[in-house]
Amino acid sequence: MIRLAFRNLFQSKARLTISVGGVALALLLILALDAIFTGVEQRITIYINNSGADIFVAQSGVRNLHMASSSLPNSVIRRVKGVPGVAAVTPILYLSNNVVLNDERNLAYIIGLPEDAVSGGPWNVSTGQSRPGEGEAIVDRSVAEKAGVSLGDEVKILGQKFEIAGLTEETSSLVNSIAFISMDDFEALRGSYDTFSFLLVQVDVGTQPQAVVARIQAQVRDVTAQTRADFAGQERQVVKDMSTDVITIMNLIGFLIGLAVMALTVYTATLARRAEYGVLKALGVRNRDLYRAVLAQAILSVAFGFAIGLAFTWILAATVPRLGLSMVMEISALSLLKVGSLSLAIAGMAAVLPIRQIAGLDPAIVFRGR
Amino acid sequence: MNAATLQITHVSKRYGSGTTEVIAVKDVSLSVAPGEIVLIMGPSGSGKTTLLSMLGALLRPSTGEIRLNGDVVSALKENRLPEIRLRKFGFVFQDFNLLSALSALENVAIVAELAGVKGSAARRKAADLLASLGLGERLNFLPEKLSGGEKQRVAIARALVNDPALILADEPTANLDSKIGHEIMRLLRGIAKEQGRSVVIVSHDQRIKDIADRVLWLEDGQFKEMVTMATDPVCGMTVERERAFQAELNGQAYYFCAAGCRDEFLSDPARFRIPASVAALFGDLPAGEPNPLDQ
Repeated sequence: MIRLAFRNLFQSKARLTISVGGVALALLLILALDAIFTGVEQRITIYINNSGADIFVAQSGVRNLHMASSSLPNSVIRRVKGVPGVAAVTPILYLSNNVVLNDERNLAYIIGLPEDAVSGGPWNVSTGQSRPGEGEAIVDRSVAEKAGVSLGDEVKILGQKFEIAGLTEETSSLVNSIAFISMDDFEALRGSYDTFSFLLVQVDVGTQPQAVVARIQAQVRDVTAQTRADFAGQERQVVKDMSTDVITIMNLIGFLIGLAVMALTVYTATLARRAEYGVLKALGVRNRDLYRAVLAQAILSVAFGFAIGLAFTWILAATVPRLGLSMVMEISALSLLKVGSLSLAIAGMAAVLPIRQIAGLDPAIVFRGR
Repeated sequence: MNAATLQITHVSKRYGSGTTEVIAVKDVSLSVAPGEIVLIMGPSGSGKTTLLSMLGALLRPSTGEIRLNGDVVSALKENRLPEIRLRKFGFVFQDFNLLSALSALENVAIVAELAGVKGSAARRKAADLLASLGLGERLNFLPEKLSGGEKQRVAIARALVNDPALILADEPTANLDSKIGHEIMRLLRGIAKEQGRSVVIVSHDQRIKDIADRVLWLEDGQFKEMVTMATDPVCGMTVERERAFQAELNGQAYYFCAAGCRDEFLSDPARFRIPASVAALFGDLPAGEPNPLDQ
């Protein structure tokens, strides 16, 4: 019966195209959206992951960068440095604000870096300097290109003009980019010289960051210390919290479109072969075998749709970075599992009506000229 | 005569009830022997389709009993009927009813597979059967690429693949031209006479009378007339025994289309040897027994 399902499916090329194409588009919608948000999740933690820090120390209660504000007094640096297992501490200033390039405003994490920073600076500089000097800024290359500016051009950060001294790679996402200026400029702009936003801590070789985190929490008051992984996890959670509703709605829309297309095509395909199913029933084929054929047809259609949707998502994911867009698409295993399950649900639900139709089919129609 | 393959006893089928009740088949009884071809004719609405559906275990009779090889099919539970249809019956339809997406070979093999024959064995069996019906070169053709006669031969192969005791044919020649129709009739006769299967045909086609052992006329749900066919030994025409000219020789009855044939036969019976197969075909002479004309 599986062969019959396969042959039935491929006999009408137009129906197959509509059915598989419709499902592929619906699944592409879900997969692409998932890939975009997975990309955002990954990119939004790229600074944390590439900072070189093992531990992030913030004001008590602050657990992430995005849309957060943290302020730590100078004295904390000394106290953290005194914690056993701490090898180096780099204070940074941080603010989420716009950078203005050629009158184009782009939301960015603005990082104020000390001259002697051992961590927290740009990690992939394509052109120019890797440390910003006075009056200089290092910005993302794709954002600069999009705004039509380059090395030596002007960028406005926190209302102050800076000269672009370096361009970095992998520092932009759909949400924002990262811009680096010197700590002195940041302090001057803020008008405050005795506080920092975060401390980026490196631990001694062979020391577990988790153990050092526990010591910092025990020995330094009014701070929240987290390992890099935990800090990144919190950052991703913020994106998840912001995007869950959107993703749920889009998933639902994709699911409903896929279901509608599949249900309609499987139903019409079964209707078109009603006489043949009647013949099979008359010949002695059991209902359950016919149900299996219909279900197999739906599953095959959805499987092809899934494969095509996935292929297009991969092509999109590979093409998007080449278009200079500040977006990364990542196809996660979880997304594949989710869309795979949705596909199975679509196939199963799409087969319900045709199965009911077959169940009610009188095999004696073969002798009645239908 | 051997025990009947198919025996139906006082079978009726009613639709609706009270004032809307329609009796499609009324108290019909029939017995079909192995190797016998029974042709059921009748006007539209006479109950032929209903009767055929009941014979094929596609429809339950309201009253009466249908036995196939001694088993009471009409008493079987609904869920056992598909199995019976698959293994005990072969169906041949007016519109061929082949599965359009499958090749000739697959159309036959799928029925064998559903009856439990493994894939390659089913395909081999189907291929042999199709080859024996002259379709060896058409195995991988889709139905749309086959002629009407070829389609009907594929349908016959499908009907035979599970070795059924009874073949039920619904207007098997209706969509075929005269030559191909005759070929299909010859095939059905071969199935009955050479393979010993019983064949019940419902048709309006008068030509089928030529191969039928009995012709039943169904009208208003009842058999009104029963005609037994015989071959005129002089001219070879198929004649209805009840209306034919008759002669008896050595205790054996012979039937003729006209008095002239009868007189010619009686003037020199030895000239008109009836082939044993033809004699057996029409029940004039049990197969294997000496031809009375030889005596």
